[in-house]
Amino acid sequence: MVFVLLPVSLLLAVLLLIPQMFGDFVAYQIGLYLIYGIAAQGIGYLWGKTGILPLGQALFFGVAAYATAMTLRNVESLPAQLGLAVVVMAAIGLLAYGLATLIFKGRSESGPYFSLITLALVMIAEQIANTASGLTGGFNGLSGFNSVGGLDPYSTFYYLVVSCTVIVSGALLILNRLPVDLVVKGVADNEPRLQLLGFATHRVKGAAFAFSAVIAALAGGLFASHQGIVTPISSGFGLSAELVILAAIGGRFHVLGPLLGAVLVGLASAELRDSFPYWEIVMALGFIVVVLKAPGGLAELIEQISRRFWTPSAGEPAAPLNAPSPRAPRILAPLVFEDVKLQIGVVRILNGITFETPTEGTVSIIGPNGAGKTSALNTITGNLGVTEGHIRLGNAAIENRGPHAALGNGIGRKLQVPSVFFTMSVAENLTLAMLAGRAAPRDLFSRSTFGWESDALTRVLANPNLSLQGDLAKMAGSLPQGHRQFLEFAMTTASEPTLLLLDEPCAGLSPGETAIMTQLVQDFQSQSGGLVIVIEHDMSIVEAISDKVLVLHQGQVLAFDTYKNVRANPQVQSVYAGATK
Amino acid sequence: MTVLILNLIWQISTLAMVALGLAIVFGKLRIMNMAHGEFVMIGAYAPIITSNLGLPMWLQLPVCIVTVALVALLFERVIIRHLYGRMFDSLLATWGIAILLREVVELLFGRGYQSVSVPIPGTVDVLGAQYPLYRIVVVAVILVGFAALAWWNRRSKVATQIKAMVGNPELAQAVGINTGRLSAAAFVFGCCTAGVAGLLLAPTIRIEPVMGIDYLIRSFFALVVGGLGSLEGLGLGVTLIAGTQSVIGAFASQTYGYLAVLTLSILFLWLKPDGIRSSSR
Repeated sequence: MVFVLLPVSLLLAVLLLIPQMFGDFVAYQIGLYLIYGIAAQGIGYLWGKTGILPLGQALFFGVAAYATAMTLRNVESLPAQLGLAVVVMAAIGLLAYGLATLIFKGRSESGPYFSLITLALVMIAEQIANTASGLTGGFNGLSGFNSVGGLDPYSTFYYLVVSCTVIVSGALLILNRLPVDLVVKGVADNEPRLQLLGFATHRVKGAAFAFSAVIAALAGGLFASHQGIVTPISSGFGLSAELVILAAIGGRFHVLGPLLGAVLVGLASAELRDSFPYWEIVMALGFIVVVLKAPGGLAELIEQISRRFWTPSAGEPAAPLNAPSPRAPRILAPLVFEDVKLQIGVVRILNGITFETPTEGTVSIIGPNGAGKTSALNTITGNLGVTEGHIRLGNAAIENRGPHAALGNGIGRKLQVPSVFFTMSVAENLTLAMLAGRAAPRDLFSRSTFGWESDALTRVLANPNLSLQGDLAKMAGSLPQGHRQFLEFAMTTASEPTLLLLDEPCAGLSPGETAIMTQLVQDFQSQSGGLVIVIEHDMSIVEAISDKVLVLHQGQVLAFDTYKNVRANPQVQSVYAGATK
Repeated sequence: MTVLILNLIWQISTLAMVALGLAIVFGKLRIMNMAHGEFVMIGAYAPIITSNLGLPMWLQLPVCIVTVALVALLFERVIIRHLYGRMFDSLLATWGIAILLREVVELLFGRGYQSVSVPIPGTVDVLGAQYPLYRIVVVAVILVGFAALAWWNRRSKVATQIKAMVGNPELAQAVGINTGRLSAAAFVFGCCTAGVAGLLLAPTIRIEPVMGIDYLIRSFFALVVGGLGSLEGLGLGVTLIAGTQSVIGAFASQTYGYLAVLTLSILFLWLKPDGIRSSSR
């Protein structure tokens, strides 16, 4: 709790001292900067955690500001005013969620296009605010209303702004300490991996966008009450841009960074705008320098300096707790490909693949480069949709559904190039893997979830041949290739899939490590009793682990039989001439 | 009716000229240049710079190109150079550059708007309608310029070299491409075409420091709609964007034209982010 209470009470103390020390007018000014700061905190959360850059946050700010102005002009009673405020914020949150999930559905990146959409939306809003005079007062805006609850904008209203600032900051600090933080950060770090861990990332991104929109709406409502006038500027592109700049300069990776940026930039502008004509140029240069050289902004610099004097301890680890079993029903079933074709553009990758695996055991997929091995796995997980044909796991049709739904079918996948969360520690990687397929939404908001353990993962961690236990505090991005392979294997098997897909698990491993990995795969298969499909080039491994071998060649099945028969197959020999030992 | 069609052609060809530079800088170099409109703006100030310097009018074009090229080269070498392959950062940094350029121009020339006289006055009779001669000349110049560019683009390897450089700078260097010079040249060329577009538009518009944003937005959306990376895509995009805006603007109102362009762009960004023609083919 000290991580939340200490900064929040410091913030509260500083903000409460301002009217006492500098008088009501300075407090009035700082109140406005804090309002911008709250909106910038929402941007900081979205941009810093998920990597989505919103360029149209003034859309939500402005809509809420106009709604507040209309409410204050027409509704007398305070409870009705507050009730309407809640309704407006909820509506804005739902709208933002719907918009973002719709746009992000079926994608696994946050690219610049979403940012441009938000930019176009805010320009539409500004245009409407300017021209729909009957509703918005047009260019002159809406004015002539009192502050909410009859508070005086120049004195008492400041304390309402302070309470909102403290509440938003406290909520963001608490979120940082909960398991949900790992999920949200996973979006920016490695979205495809997060999807394979069963998280519907378009919904995660939608929720984060909605959260930032609600924060912007809260700020917009406060703004209307504080200023007593709402003009099209408050729903415009210019304000959106300024809020992003405040978040960037203050520091988007830190809860209090955007607040700091807003107050410092606001005070400096007020002081210098009239006396120093080059002020805006200095601001622009400062922003460019932050983008190029200090993406963490002021907050990052302050944190680096403070670390020299005081290093916060990590806090107590959560008590170990048996994790609930995976929510996907455990169904052992054969994997069936029925004439599966895959074509991207003019390139035909799979040309009618048909096979049926046993319900359990290990199947190896071999074939020359470009045979379609990885693409076949991609159609199973839904990373690629099929052009024709069907894929079934038992009775369930699994082609053409998103990769986030694969784990729900009991499918876990390790990718060819080790795919872990590179900016997170090994322990955090494993925590996310423990959440996969097990955590209900409410579990993401409880710290006890951090203590989740499962027998399977504990066994892997305790394996004396692996160094995962010793690496727990290290960043996954700093691990050597071999350790990343083992980490990703541990993460994939932590969710106890009944169909495990391994894409060249031994790539880049030393002979010793290869033996350990082979043993791990065999142990997993015998303990889970499910199906394991491995893409492998090393024939000695294929021979050691396979019950059956599937040979692909130019997007077609060349052979599907036991290792011995495949090896004796003359067609396979001609394709592989000299490639086997 | 004739005037309407002539206006449509004027809108489409000038937007093509404005968007050309962004097609190079965003489409080829993958820099989301938010300062693109500011280079148009600087180009539009060229006649004012020329007359402030006491130079004769025929030097407007050299003054425009030299000014824009120097500014673009400075920013490329100091800032943009670090941003190849970092699209989000390029968006933010060029945004900073845009603010910077606006503020500098405001300090030099003031906040208010200026206008310049039309260098080729008079009107001509086109199918019974009187239309400004200057606009006809500009459209012709732009058409000739694009024809020349298309001819050059077909014969030159520069586009391929740029693609190689953006895709893998180290490998491009290894096969003998001077990436520093190539990227700087491409960026400066792109900005110069924007500047020339500004110069051509100058006599027909209000010239003010904040005029760039509108050109930036329409260019961006034209590229998104048309698809990055090809001249045909650029043509399709500007025709759709400028066409929608002019036609709806003429029959309903400017506001509706503008809203239609924004809505069209959102639909493309959402459903078809690679545009009508994608660059891969």
